[in-house]
Amino acid sequence: MGEVSTAGSGVGARVRRKEDDRLLRGRGRFVGDIALVGMKELAFVRSPVAHATITGIEIPEEHRGAVLTWADLAAGGVKPIRAVSGLPGFKVSEQPALADGKVRFVGEPVAVCVAATRAEAEDIAASVFVDYAELPVNSDMLEAVKPGAPRVHDHWPDNVFLETNVGGNIAEIAATAPVKVSRTIRTARQCMVPLEGKGVVAHWDRHVEQLVLTTSTQMPHIVRAGLSECLDLDQGLIRVVAPDVGGGFGWKGLLQPEEIVAAWIAMRLDRPVRWTEDRREHLVAAANAREHHYEITAYADARGRLLGIEADAWVDAGAYSVYPFSACLEAAQVGSILPGPYDFAHYRCRTFSVCTNKPPIVPYRGVARTGVCFAMEQMIDAVADAVGREPWQVRLENLVPPEKMPFDNVTKKHFDSGDYPESVRRAVAAIELDGWRARQKAGEVDGRLIGVGFATYCEQSAHGTAVYHGWGIPMVPGHEQAQARITPDGGLELRVGVQSHGQSMETTFAQVAHEVLGIPLEKIKLVHGDTGLTPYSTGTWGSRSMVMAGGAVATACRTLAERLRKIGAHLMQAGPEGVLLEGGSVKAGAAAVTIREIAHTWYRAPQLLPADVDRGGLEVTAGYKPGSDHGTFSYATHAVAVAVDPEIGQVEILDYVVVEDAGTMVNPMVVDGQIYGGVAQGVGTALYERMPYDAEGQPLASTFADYLIPGFTEVPHVRIIHMLTPSPYTEFGVKGIGEGGAIAPPAAICNAINDALKPLGVIVTNAPMTPEVILGAIAGQQDAGRGAA
Amino acid sequence: MSAHAKSISLTVNGARVEASVPPRQHLGDFLRERELLTGTHLGCEHGVCGACTILIDGEPARSCITFAVACDGRSITTVEGLDDDPVATELREAFAAEHGLQCGFCTPGMLVAARDVVLRRPDADNPAIRTAMSGNLCRCTGYVGIVNAIRRVIDARNTNAG
Repeated sequence: MGEVSTAGSGVGARVRRKEDDRLLRGRGRFVGDIALVGMKELAFVRSPVAHATITGIEIPEEHRGAVLTWADLAAGGVKPIRAVSGLPGFKVSEQPALADGKVRFVGEPVAVCVAATRAEAEDIAASVFVDYAELPVNSDMLEAVKPGAPRVHDHWPDNVFLETNVGGNIAEIAATAPVKVSRTIRTARQCMVPLEGKGVVAHWDRHVEQLVLTTSTQMPHIVRAGLSECLDLDQGLIRVVAPDVGGGFGWKGLLQPEEIVAAWIAMRLDRPVRWTEDRREHLVAAANAREHHYEITAYADARGRLLGIEADAWVDAGAYSVYPFSACLEAAQVGSILPGPYDFAHYRCRTFSVCTNKPPIVPYRGVARTGVCFAMEQMIDAVADAVGREPWQVRLENLVPPEKMPFDNVTKKHFDSGDYPESVRRAVAAIELDGWRARQKAGEVDGRLIGVGFATYCEQSAHGTAVYHGWGIPMVPGHEQAQARITPDGGLELRVGVQSHGQSMETTFAQVAHEVLGIPLEKIKLVHGDTGLTPYSTGTWGSRSMVMAGGAVATACRTLAERLRKIGAHLMQAGPEGVLLEGGSVKAGAAAVTIREIAHTWYRAPQLLPADVDRGGLEVTAGYKPGSDHGTFSYATHAVAVAVDPEIGQVEILDYVVVEDAGTMVNPMVVDGQIYGGVAQGVGTALYERMPYDAEGQPLASTFADYLIPGFTEVPHVRIIHMLTPSPYTEFGVKGIGEGGAIAPPAAICNAINDALKPLGVIVTNAPMTPEVILGAIAGQQDAGRGAA
Repeated sequence: MSAHAKSISLTVNGARVEASVPPRQHLGDFLRERELLTGTHLGCEHGVCGACTILIDGEPARSCITFAVACDGRSITTVEGLDDDPVATELREAFAAEHGLQCGFCTPGMLVAARDVVLRRPDADNPAIRTAMSGNLCRCTGYVGIVNAIRRVIDARNTNAG
């Protein structure tokens, strides 16, 4: 563990970002900004139907040669994407980069068109005539699992990628528990909507004889591995580069069919090609996140102490298994993390990854946790309601207390540290619950109903090796590596295989290196997002980069520090004892030699080096894993006050507080930014975002006018309160924080709405909680009342 | 396509530009592909997200739903043309101080819109800033840093003016 201070520019300092200047002057370099000499543009012909056999593709005579289909790619040796899980019973789907005789969702690429401009490529795409023989569609996962449902993959016996069963017999608890509450809970299918869509530029570099794929990705090394498999090309012949990437949130954490197509065409035509996803393509073909359905029961005693949880959960995994995460990660995660931050003994959960005629599911910020938290936190409030206590009291009753840390929960998750109940107490105080309760009692002059809701979660971040090995998917994180190199002028270059697309790593990794070496931030350069220049990494996902790559940077810098001390001591003719590296200089008593002087000696005056100098010089590649393979557990309690208008179903957020613990913060400004941004996405999940489908599998939103993401006036000015419990297992005690903000808002807002609706005797359980959903609940209650009378 | 191209003459970031453009080409593509001014970003290409906001004769406009041919005789300013603009300079400083950007993709449009708010609404409180900025979407920041940055610039200008 290093010393941590909040002053200066090391770990804990709120320093400004090194990234900002270029981005604020419009001088970033995103994929769409790259133009190469002779470059062609691509446009895709996409399926307008959800399920069909392709009986013909007619290409106008004048465009022959400019339109390519799977037949061309297959003849060229291209293989379909196969993302297999090793979990027993997993059914394999093969996804050809262009449809192979059958389409399985609206937006699936069928053919690709090549032209001088994107507009002309789109003209050609519009002229291609595809004959579809439509097939029955699975547009709803609960229908798709019924016997006799049409099959998405003909050779499967049903439409289930994988069924999992977690936990044991709960029958005794079910029979004897004093309190039993059940709910049906659902989250909608969403689009991740990074403001920059996906984009690819591919070309063959004749000099180094490599395919160079510049792509808007979070995981360049994984894209290279996947491309290598699909193109049957050695990884040494492929270089994947991520330039500035305009947000990802998970959507850019997979191998995409369009990347395979662009790569292959660039090689076949021996010309650079570019594809830039437009927003409509994203909304239609990439509506791929979050769709869960729960049938869940909580058992408790009369005080609200949880005795057990029993659930069946379905995840709509879409038509194919994505590389590298597979179609089952989300549902398997539901099974393992549904118990949340709570301490209870009996658990049973059955999950189904259901194959439907929708885009393949991809892990979105928080992955399954947002849905799991939405379900579990509704159950805590339901138990509180059943036993007549405040929901926050029932949380305190059940949360893992600090004296039990570290704690292994009912699914063997190893919670590393923290005071979960304290986050609830602080949230209750910060939201000023008593004031809202008094206001509720008094009533609003405008007839709106006030409600307050809470949600608590803990989040496993920086996943270790065992859990991914257990899932048996194409990607298993091991030791994360970083390279640290002193430049001949005494600066520092850091090379990492993770990729920064808004997370501020150019700044925060420099802060970590500065903490160890004392080199000023402006002399530290981060090189990332390039398989040609960086060590292998599974990339940026799962709130892992600061824990893993940050840990590797610190480790590499410590080795560098040791080498600098030895050379410095020799130059000062000092013995090894009492030699310090401090403020960018090696010091022995009153004597000092700067890192710049030591660098000059190694690179340009090696005759002055000691005979036994480390031959590795001033360049170190170091690997790192935290002290625990279970990752870190950050946690938070969110508290929200809302006003619900029972006449029009509208929800206004009146106050929003986050009490969170991410361990040691490398840059508090950046941590706050991640939380603010996460909460905004969570507000979208809670109140606005839904990709609706009709019975034919047609997506019913295709613009920002009908797929609503929250704007300035929908997102509250969130208040954040930090708790700082260092992880015992990581460098500096940091924990992952990138996803957390997005996890709890749907649950907290749902609980607040239900608190508001309590006088009406109705609840909402499905996200997003749109005016229609709220009015429907109110109307349903009134109808039921009439029926009873 | 070229048979239907139209000649236009306009000013882009203070420089005279003569160009022959297809009638269907929007101003965003014209600026990015022909003038290589890639600071103007295209986030939706249907006029909602605001990432492509530029100035036409000093007024904010969506370049993705403005045809280049409609800009004959106009003066266009993109983010690259705001390097020496005093308000934009203050905003860049404030955006950096308040963490008003993460991935940076929406940022050029945010700056152009924020500059307009600072100039038009020196009286704006935070809800008014939010309403005035509601034509621009950001998926990273949760807007807090952007609102704080605009607040900071408006307050500083009011203090200096007072």
